[in-house]
Amino acid sequence: MIEAVSFLPITLTVNGVEVTRVVEPRTLLADFVRDDLGLTGTKVSCRLQVCGACTVLVDDLPVSACTYLAVDADGADVRTVEGLSDGENLHPLQEAFVEKFALQCGFCTPGFLMMSKALATENPTADRAEIIEHLEGNICRCTGYRPIVEAVECALARMRKVPSE
Amino acid sequence: MLPRFDLLRPTTVAEAVGCLSEESVPYCGGTELLLAMRAGLYRPSALVDIKRVPELRGIRLRDGVLSIGAATSHRVVALDALVRGQLPMLATVEQGVGNARVRAQGSVGGNLCFAEPKSDLATALVAYEASVSLTSAGGTREVLVSELIQGAYFADKEPDELLVSIEIPLPGDHDAVYLKYQTMERPTVGVAVMNDRSGRRCRVVVGAVGEVPVVWEGTDPSEVVPDEIAELVDPVVDLTGSARYKRHVTAVYVRRALRALEGSHPS
Repeated sequence: MIEAVSFLPITLTVNGVEVTRVVEPRTLLADFVRDDLGLTGTKVSCRLQVCGACTVLVDDLPVSACTYLAVDADGADVRTVEGLSDGENLHPLQEAFVEKFALQCGFCTPGFLMMSKALATENPTADRAEIIEHLEGNICRCTGYRPIVEAVECALARMRKVPSE
Repeated sequence: MLPRFDLLRPTTVAEAVGCLSEESVPYCGGTELLLAMRAGLYRPSALVDIKRVPELRGIRLRDGVLSIGAATSHRVVALDALVRGQLPMLATVEQGVGNARVRAQGSVGGNLCFAEPKSDLATALVAYEASVSLTSAGGTREVLVSELIQGAYFADKEPDELLVSIEIPLPGDHDAVYLKYQTMERPTVGVAVMNDRSGRRCRVVVGAVGEVPVVWEGTDPSEVVPDEIAELVDPVVDLTGSARYKRHVTAVYVRRALRALEGSHPS
């Protein structure tokens, strides 16, 4: 007989740091990183997997942290926007977002950055159409999207020249 | 925050089936279930996480039938070499489901079990005449996807049954296309055309406009009359449009799908 559990321990790596906590199954990854770990860069907006603001990477794949159980990240490598830069220098994606004015209020930015990071990993040679298609699931109410697409295009091109990140 | 629930983690189909009841439901990607729970529409006391059951994952070809484990994600199906080689239309459909996060999290089995009326996957699978395998303590039954999807959010699946796999009989010499029109998160209309030349059969399936996919069957694409198919559908009036509008885009997309079908096979 399989035992039903109401609390369980999880151990995962968040931005390179191993953390262990005991959580309820209902704990969402977004609440876990924001409230338990204090990583408030991840934003929560629609709670419907539609807006993309809460995007984080779990084993390099983008997920909506607002609708992802923390228990499912047990053993996984989780990366939030706080883990994008190396702590000293901005990531090329972040640099390009600044240069191209790819944000105004900034609320959607962590999600766009993490979605773009996923694209950089999966398809570093993505062209404009592929970038647009990949970012379709993220909503920005300020920029009109064009500067975001330009920033990602620019960052991918730079990352191809310097393949360190 | 979600309501409280317990978690069960079986590792075999038999264990998983033993955990299921009205109150204790299968859980995989959560892209439908967790949303329903958060909205208060659904309140199971326990989730049976089927992600640790290896039998429910992966894609295999056996005796001319492509079998996709229920817990396989849309992303894995979209990228799979067998699917891309044998059923390229299905790979295209899966590459366009929801968004990249939904494709990474959501499972094919969950998509069908929720019987979301705007499911791209269900429309494509009906075109392929696919079926699903449902297992309970009492045994296993095969149900055509066209019969599984009974209504909006209503699948012919008992609470003690687990959707184990999707079975797609590989067509012979065929062309297939799927075209959709989408301005919001879900399509307004999705049209799948499957022309099985070796079997002299042609199917047109229209999804998303009504509660369930509508099927037209004939022997050749030249027999398809888009305006007649637009009369066959039973549109649900919602934010994606009125009944008249949906019939109009149905005819337009059937026409475009037929044109794309011709383009996919120039001979």
